[in-house]
This record gives sequence, C-alpha cells and structure tokens, in this order.
Amino acid sequence: MAFAKPRDAAETAGAAMGETLIEARDVAKTFGDGRVIALQGANFEVKRGEFISLVGPSGCGKSTLLRIVAGLLARSSGELRVHGEEVTGPRTDVAMMFQKPTLLAWRTAVENVLLPSEIKGRVGQAERRKAIELLELAGLKDFAFSFPSQLSGGMQQRVALARLLQTGADVLLLDEPFGALDEFTRERLNVELARITREVGATTLFVTHNIGEAIFLADRVFVMTPRPGEIARIIDVGLERPRDPSIQVTPEFNALVAEVRSTLGGAE
Amino acid sequence: MSATDETSALASSGQWSWRIVANHVAILAGLLGAWEIGARTGFLDPLFFPRPTDILAGFWRLYVTQGNIWDHLGLTVAEVLTGFVAGSVLGIGLALLVGMSDRLRRYLKPYVIISEATPRIAIGPVIIAAFGFGWTSKVAIVMLVCFFAPFVNTLNGMVNVDENEMDMMRSMRASKWQIFRKLMLPDALPEILGGLRLAMASALGGALVAEFIASNAGLGVLINQYTGVLNMASAFVCVLTLTVLGFFIFRGMEALDHWIVFWSDRRRTEQVSRRRARAWSERMEKRT
Repeated sequence: MAFAKPRDAAETAGAAMGETLIEARDVAKTFGDGRVIALQGANFEVKRGEFISLVGPSGCGKSTLLRIVAGLLARSSGELRVHGEEVTGPRTDVAMMFQKPTLLAWRTAVENVLLPSEIKGRVGQAERRKAIELLELAGLKDFAFSFPSQLSGGMQQRVALARLLQTGADVLLLDEPFGALDEFTRERLNVELARITREVGATTLFVTHNIGEAIFLADRVFVMTPRPGEIARIIDVGLERPRDPSIQVTPEFNALVAEVRSTLGGAE
Repeated sequence: MSATDETSALASSGQWSWRIVANHVAILAGLLGAWEIGARTGFLDPLFFPRPTDILAGFWRLYVTQGNIWDHLGLTVAEVLTGFVAGSVLGIGLALLVGMSDRLRRYLKPYVIISEATPRIAIGPVIIAAFGFGWTSKVAIVMLVCFFAPFVNTLNGMVNVDENEMDMMRSMRASKWQIFRKLMLPDALPEILGGLRLAMASALGGALVAEFIASNAGLGVLINQYTGVLNMASAFVCVLTLTVLGFFIFRGMEALDHWIVFWSDRRRTEQVSRRRARAWSERMEKRT
C-alpha cells in the first residue's frame, strides 16, 4: 500500500506498543522577557499510534504547545524529544495541518499533495501514485485535478489532510483543522480522520476548543487552562474503537464531557 | 481584469445584437457628420477641430504617400518597449532581492519613499542633460517611469504572504529558496502583473513627455512639429495613432495577466484543470 512507511513502522513496532514517540519535560514558553507566560510546565509522553486531543479555551497555550512540537516555535525552557531526539526545528517525521487549508491556489489538488515530496526533492512515479491514493483515501477521487478555488471548504481540508499524509511523517499535528467548517461537515471529517489516522498508524496531536470533538477522537485528552497556559489534567478516554458518532449520547461519553468541563470550570 | 470581464459578460449574454451595433455606428456617423459640417461652415474653429475628412486624408498622407510617420512611430515604440522592459525588470528584480532580506528592506525603504515622492517628470531635463537628446535619454526616462510601480507592487506581494502558508512551508523544512520559488513568487504574481500594467500605462506618456522636452525624432516630436506649423489634421493623425497604440498595449497587458494568473478567473481555471489532468494521465501511461 501507499502508506507503507508509517504503517510498516507501526506493525514492526506493534509488539513494542508503548514505545514513546514524544516526550516533554517542563516545556514552557514565555514572551516579552518572561513577563507573559503562554505555556508553563508541560509534562507528558505520547506513545506510538496514540491520538491525543488538546482541549481548552483560547489563551490556554494549546496552539503554542503544538507549534513548539512542530519546531515552528522555540520553547523558552524544558526538554522536548521526538523519536528520542531533541527538537531544534521542523522535522521530516513531524507534519502539521492548520485551521486554514493553506493550499497553493495555482496548484491542482494532486499538485498540492505532492508539495512535500517536491520539497524533499523526490517526485517519481511512486510519489505520484501515492498522492492519488491519498486523495482517494480522503474521499477526493474525482477531484485530483481541481484547483482549490473549485473546491468547497471541507474538500480543501481533505486535500490538506492528504498532503499531511504525503509527508510520510508518523507524528501528525492538527491545529483546529476543521474549526472553520460547518457542524455537519466537521462531524463527517472527524469520523474519517479517526479512520485514516488508525489506518496509517499515525501518532496524532489534535488541538480543538470543542470538548465533544476532543473526546470523540482521542485516546487521551489533555485538558488545558489559561493564565498561565498549562495542562491541568490528562483524561483517559477508554471508549472502544471504531467509534460511531452515536456514542456521543451515551452516559459514558457524557461522564467524560462532565469531567473535562469540571476541570475547565475549576480554572475559571 | 474588469474590462475583460465586462466584455466577456456582454459577449456571453449575447448583447452585441445588430441593433446595438447599428446604433453605435449611427451615433458615430452623426458626431463625425456634425463635426464635418461645423468645420466647413466655420462654426467650429478648424484650428482646433480639423475636418474629419482632412484627418482621413492626413492618415493617407502620413502613412502612404509621404510615409514619414513610420520612422517616428517605430522609434517611439522602441523607446517604450526598451524602457519598459529595462525599468520593470530592474524594479521587479530589486524588489525580489529586497523582499528576501529583512535588513535590505529596512534600509532601502526610506530611499524608495523619497524617490516615490519626487515627480518623475521633474527629473526628465536632468536625465536629458546627462544622456543627451538622443535615444538613450528617452529610454532612461521611460525606465524611470516604469521602475516604481513594479517595484512597489512586487515588494508588497512579497511582504503580504499569508503567515499560515509560510508556517506550512517551514513545517515541511522548505529552504528559503524553495519558499521563495514555490510560495512567495507565485503568490506575488497578481500584484507584479498589476504593477506591470501600471508601468505600461505610464510608459507611453513618459516617452512622449521626454520627446516633448527635447528630441529630434519620435511621435512627440512630430506632434510638436505639426502643431508648430498649425497643421492640425496631421497632428490629429499622430494623436489617434497613439490612441490605437495605447489600446493595443493595454489589451496586450490584460491578456498577459489573464494568461499567467489563470487561477483568478473561473473559466481559465477550469481550462487549465482539464489540461493538467490530460498531461498527468499521459505521463503516467508513458512510464508504466
């Protein structure tokens, strides 16, 4: 299959499930000579194949944390390791997706998906086939040659998702990727995101301010609170997979929502 | 952009019916007829309004029997094109260089603002004093006129790149050169072409003013000569020639914009989309 790299990696490591991919020790970020604390004392480990949601109100540092893991933002202090290596900048095994699709308007969908391969300087038949297959995986079989302006907002994010997977990275960072979409489109894309990340064996950090969405997708939820931004609590979700949207009305699900809410409420 | 949109909208909605064309012809004929009669009866001063028939005769004389307009026209066009290419290449090139470097941008900005505030035509006589009455000084003036719009627009286009898109490129470990070539440059293209259009619009005017100031050939000189001896019909021929020239230059730039920045037009986007799909399947078939 096209997703050979992450999946094979996941299978070979299958026995060693529990291998730690991301390790954070007292990661903090301050601005303005330390006067503004955007994020303080983040401590966590993320294991291979895990899906982590970071949820919290604006100003809780969730996007800051994500950008630090992406290597786009330098941390002020603390230790951060991915694959056991100190993070000093963007890495090829970590890829990020944004709230805006950030597609290039002058490229067709498939050309946009090929961008990461182009940047690595490797565009052959294999990469081209993989790009088409990823577009199919994202449900855009018939739109490979459409330009972004010809696609709806939801479809544009599907292209961005395919591009994210084309990087071959096994750590995926998603910063409110469907936040600008309508409720129905978002729910459908969330179900597909859950399916796709499992299928490719990705390790995922997903930022959102929607509590239900955070729980629905995650193995563990990092509940974050503002002023100063910090991880207030880590909640194990423990719901069975694959999950259907209907689980969102079950008592177990609502108990989890209440738990997240009480953590967030206590901070305010 | 807007002009093409309007004409294509008209054409597609089938509004160019014979009746409308006939109306236009009737109005034009009426105007010219009134003008002709007014000039013949002395109601219009022929010094300012030479008879249309005289202007028509002037076209025949200047382009065919005497044929003296060709050299002047050729020279003016050559000045415009050379100055335009040199000025805009310099403008765009410098802006790309400056846009890539924060430091250059900071230090060069005041000079650009100062030189932008200076009326360009005021420097005309200075340039003529430096380069003489010939071809070089005209090209230099057109160059100057054509430098700023592409420079400012290109710089704007480079600076206004979306921060999220920059992060997207950085997160993929794109080099500075890759970010420039794959993101900043194509992203700035609509603005660069807008700058080129502005430059082209002022290039013709710049060349004429330069010729008016001091020159021995070119359409501006010809206009000066004819008005000097009150041969207004021939002067009108030169002016109308410039009208046609300006029209084609404007349309040419529009077509270039339309062709390059295809993604800002829906129909062009669909066209390019089909072409890329075809090219893709041909490539995949060839190699498998």
